[in-house]
Amino acid sequence: MNRSIRQLLSITLVLLLTGAPMLAQRRGGGTRTSVSQGNVNRNAHASQGNINRNTNINSNRNVNVNVDHDVYVHGGYYGGGCCYHPVATAAAVTATAMVTAAVIGSMVYTLPPACSVVIVNGFTYQHCGSVWYQPQFVGTSTTYVVVAAPQ
Amino acid sequence: MYKRLFVLVVIMSFSLSLAAQSGSPQKKADIDPGAMATLDKMGAYLRTLNAFQVKAVQTTDDVLENGQAIQSDRVVDVLAVRPNRLRVEIEGDDMHRLFLYDGTSFTIYGQLINYYATVPAPRTIIELIDTLNDEYGIDMPLADLFRWSSPGSLEKQEITSAIDVGPSSVEGTSCEQYAFRQEGLDWQVWIQQGDYPLPRKLILTTLTDDARPRHSQILSWNLAPSFNDAAFVFDPPKDAQRIAIAEVTASPSNEKKSEQGGVK
Repeated sequence: MNRSIRQLLSITLVLLLTGAPMLAQRRGGGTRTSVSQGNVNRNAHASQGNINRNTNINSNRNVNVNVDHDVYVHGGYYGGGCCYHPVATAAAVTATAMVTAAVIGSMVYTLPPACSVVIVNGFTYQHCGSVWYQPQFVGTSTTYVVVAAPQ
Repeated sequence: MYKRLFVLVVIMSFSLSLAAQSGSPQKKADIDPGAMATLDKMGAYLRTLNAFQVKAVQTTDDVLENGQAIQSDRVVDVLAVRPNRLRVEIEGDDMHRLFLYDGTSFTIYGQLINYYATVPAPRTIIELIDTLNDEYGIDMPLADLFRWSSPGSLEKQEITSAIDVGPSSVEGTSCEQYAFRQEGLDWQVWIQQGDYPLPRKLILTTLTDDARPRHSQILSWNLAPSFNDAAFVFDPPKDAQRIAIAEVTASPSNEKKSEQGGVK
């Protein structure tokens, strides 16, 4: 009982923090852009994420890092998505990020503030507080994946 | 009395068997052989182009969770030299991507974010298109142009209906408009009339989403492009950062795919 109340509270908190992302969230499936592609599902791969060009609404499925949604940055758009530089993003952020335990392997479209760029083995990482993010292309979008500290 | 009933039963079973027989010819009747022949002709013609540049002005619907379709625009510039060089520039409302393929490696570069990723690539453009799609979930814009010029590609598409709609002009060029149906997709193509049967306009309507989102594009061709080898080689701009590229995980569901991210 206690536990479910706590769960409900944390869900409410997440919803409050992230605003109303569902409206701007892209539906699964996606629009086909090729007639000769055998498998329809493959086309949909890059069509996740939100669609709002001006407002940074978190993609928050299973993501434990929530950035307040009234931060103005470009990005999170178009299956192509996210076209802002993470450093610029961090600088533009005015609200505080809530970092609950960031689960390794979880994915975000935006970074919390105050990250530093660290290059390990020629690849770029973002170190934000105690959490390491690896920027990566997913399809043609860029996202940040929470990773263990790079060696 | 019984005789009459018997006659009735015979007539009924005869007409039933007729109906059953007409099932398959009916399906074939939906396919205009002339429309299919023109698609073949277009593919054969595309196959003869060793180097070409094509600019596509694209409009794509994205469907929100509430079913609302939102339109966005992109301009795609493709420079292809068969069999193994490709340069694709994609400019969207707030994104810019460059794809470069020089026969040995493939680079995706985001100009606005100054990130790039480079991976080893297969030996031909057509293999590259499949690899990008299967392994990295990257859709090559205008992939159809390359697939159509491979023999047997039309059979794989399993077209269930083909109609010749009639003459139509695309930006002043005389074309013939065709409409096709296949599983989950309706599409139309405008093919230039005369000796150069090039696709000039293409509209895809996805049927698996009840919002029926569309992807449409108008193509401008340059069949004698000028280029040099450097056009296909990635030279990282100053301060460009190399990042990873996620591999598509072998997950049947899309949701899982996006959650797992497939970090490599």
